[in-house]
Amino acid sequence: MTSSAFPARTSGRRFHFLFNRAWQALWVLPLPAWLLLFFAVPLGLLVAISFWSVVNYRLTPDATLSAWRYVLGLDFLWASFWRSYGLSMASAVAISLLAFPASYAMAFVAAPRQRLILLGLAIAPFFTSYLVRIYSWQVFLTEGGVISSVIQAFGGKGESLLNTYFALFLGHATLALPVVLIMQTIALANVDRTGISAAANLGARPGAILFRIILPAARPGLTLGLLFAFLLSYAEFVSASYLGGGTFQTLPILVTDLVRAGQQWPRAAVVSLLMIASLLITAFVTVLWAYREKG
Amino acid sequence: MTNTHLKLAGLAKSYGTFIAVEEFSLDIAQGEFIAIMGPSGCGKTTSLRMLAGLETADRGEITLAGNRIDQLPVWERETPMVWQSLALFPFMTVRENVEFGLKMRGVAGPERRRRADDWLERLGITTYADRNVARLSGGQRQRVALARSLVLEPKVLLLDEPLSALDAHMAIKMQGELKKLQRELGITFVYVTHSHSEAFSLADRVVIMNAGRVEQIGSPQDIFLRPRSKFVAQFVGGISLLEGKVSGSEGSKRFLDTRDGKVRLSHSSGLAEGAAADLAVRADRISVTVEPGWGENEIACTLVSEEFAGAVVNLHLATASGHSLVAQLQQRDLEQLDASIGARVYASWHSDDGFLLESAQQSEPGPKVRAA
Repeated sequence: MTSSAFPARTSGRRFHFLFNRAWQALWVLPLPAWLLLFFAVPLGLLVAISFWSVVNYRLTPDATLSAWRYVLGLDFLWASFWRSYGLSMASAVAISLLAFPASYAMAFVAAPRQRLILLGLAIAPFFTSYLVRIYSWQVFLTEGGVISSVIQAFGGKGESLLNTYFALFLGHATLALPVVLIMQTIALANVDRTGISAAANLGARPGAILFRIILPAARPGLTLGLLFAFLLSYAEFVSASYLGGGTFQTLPILVTDLVRAGQQWPRAAVVSLLMIASLLITAFVTVLWAYREKG
Repeated sequence: MTNTHLKLAGLAKSYGTFIAVEEFSLDIAQGEFIAIMGPSGCGKTTSLRMLAGLETADRGEITLAGNRIDQLPVWERETPMVWQSLALFPFMTVRENVEFGLKMRGVAGPERRRRADDWLERLGITTYADRNVARLSGGQRQRVALARSLVLEPKVLLLDEPLSALDAHMAIKMQGELKKLQRELGITFVYVTHSHSEAFSLADRVVIMNAGRVEQIGSPQDIFLRPRSKFVAQFVGGISLLEGKVSGSEGSKRFLDTRDGKVRLSHSSGLAEGAAADLAVRADRISVTVEPGWGENEIACTLVSEEFAGAVVNLHLATASGHSLVAQLQQRDLEQLDASIGARVYASWHSDDGFLLESAQQSEPGPKVRAA
């Protein structure tokens, strides 16, 4: 078929080419636009502000290292950093372990329909405000609250459980558990069932199947679940403040303290940048490990 | 079989009201190559899975070398399987895949590695030992799957449509290698397939299943030349069937009364006078002529279509009563046949070439459901 015999075809082909390009662009362009608008620009602003100064409680454009010097010179900065990091990592591990049996049951025991219903129930807490859920924990944990009343009824002291690491962990779990549950369930449900049968057929007992087949096969999803729990807990401010009561000075608490005490936005920006840097490094290393392949 | 090695006796399996396997019995000799064939849902894979312990039989017994194994959990049975999807472990290297079964049996590291490496070499995949299985070709992955099972030195190897993931050329190559391996090792192979060519060229005996029951067990020649039921005849293909009633005899020959007239047969097959039966004639035994009067049995037909199949041509014919017949002709015979589509022709065959199949109700293909 020659183009001279069908002259209309050439322009038609050109139109299709342009149309396909436009159609692709329609889907591709929002991503860089969003990244620019909601990540690059705010991050740039944050970096800029960290070099500004505060004159008479007012933020003033400047090019000074004073905020950086001040924050990095704080003797409790690194203590706060490692406390934040350690507490969130501990929460993430505990949440992952707590979620695993439920995820396993949903992936391997429940029928596909039951799994949908159970996952729906797991997401249900998201329909109420996070703040409301944290306040309701206060009702449970406070002195004279639900838990302490029960303990007192059995002759215990029934002290307030607020401002403890346990209370903070409950806050983290309230935030992250449903997400981890969903990610783990999807990861486990996608493990190749024939592979599990094949392992049993080759002599693997249930324990060996769990540790040598299911966990390695679901590793990317399980690791990402852990990472999400860490990210959510690390940046978490509400329960650190309302359930932890500021007893544990974490970095988000430090940020709000710096802003409240004298409008120190540049210093708060420095702490935020430290958090972002440590988050990105952690996420990068974790994702690399999660998707590492053999051979 | 005199030296029965693996014995399946009266196996049955249902899921709710669906009967996957109604009754499956088979005695297999040491070193025999058994192929199980049948349409989808006939129970062939379920039977294999019961053998491996992946399904628990509702009834029946399995014994291997005299020991009952149907009560054992999967991981204690020595019946490794090669899977249709291969089911290699993607998060392990080739060598780790092959070592897996040995590791589960507590074989120590150096010994494990030595035995795995032996099999990698034997199957020609030593070069890929440290590679990720996802980066291998279909044929290489197939060899890893074989090595992973054979490294356990089993007495029985189960294969569930192992070549169906390969392209046609590679599948034929692997067929040859499988047969060679099986002969060298003297292992019993139980091979489930839907491919006629695989079953007939590889197996010592073929089991044809339909709707949860065994239709016929026999050598490939047996099944091909003497299908015992209408179902097997249709499943194997290339056989024309004529419905009729047994009626009268003349010397050693008997007659079958069909809607297209009386036909003669040499094999009486012990059917009573008046019994409903199907006459089966293989396509390569039917001659086609333009003029009548060439054969012992002859039916006038219309030439419906021609199907080119390489060296031979299949002619599809229709009789006046609506029976369809298939005749297989050599190309040069077709050239001498002066008939176009729609023409009147005569199909004829020798009475030795026709044989009777009992018209049995249960031979209808398709899954069966237990009556409530």
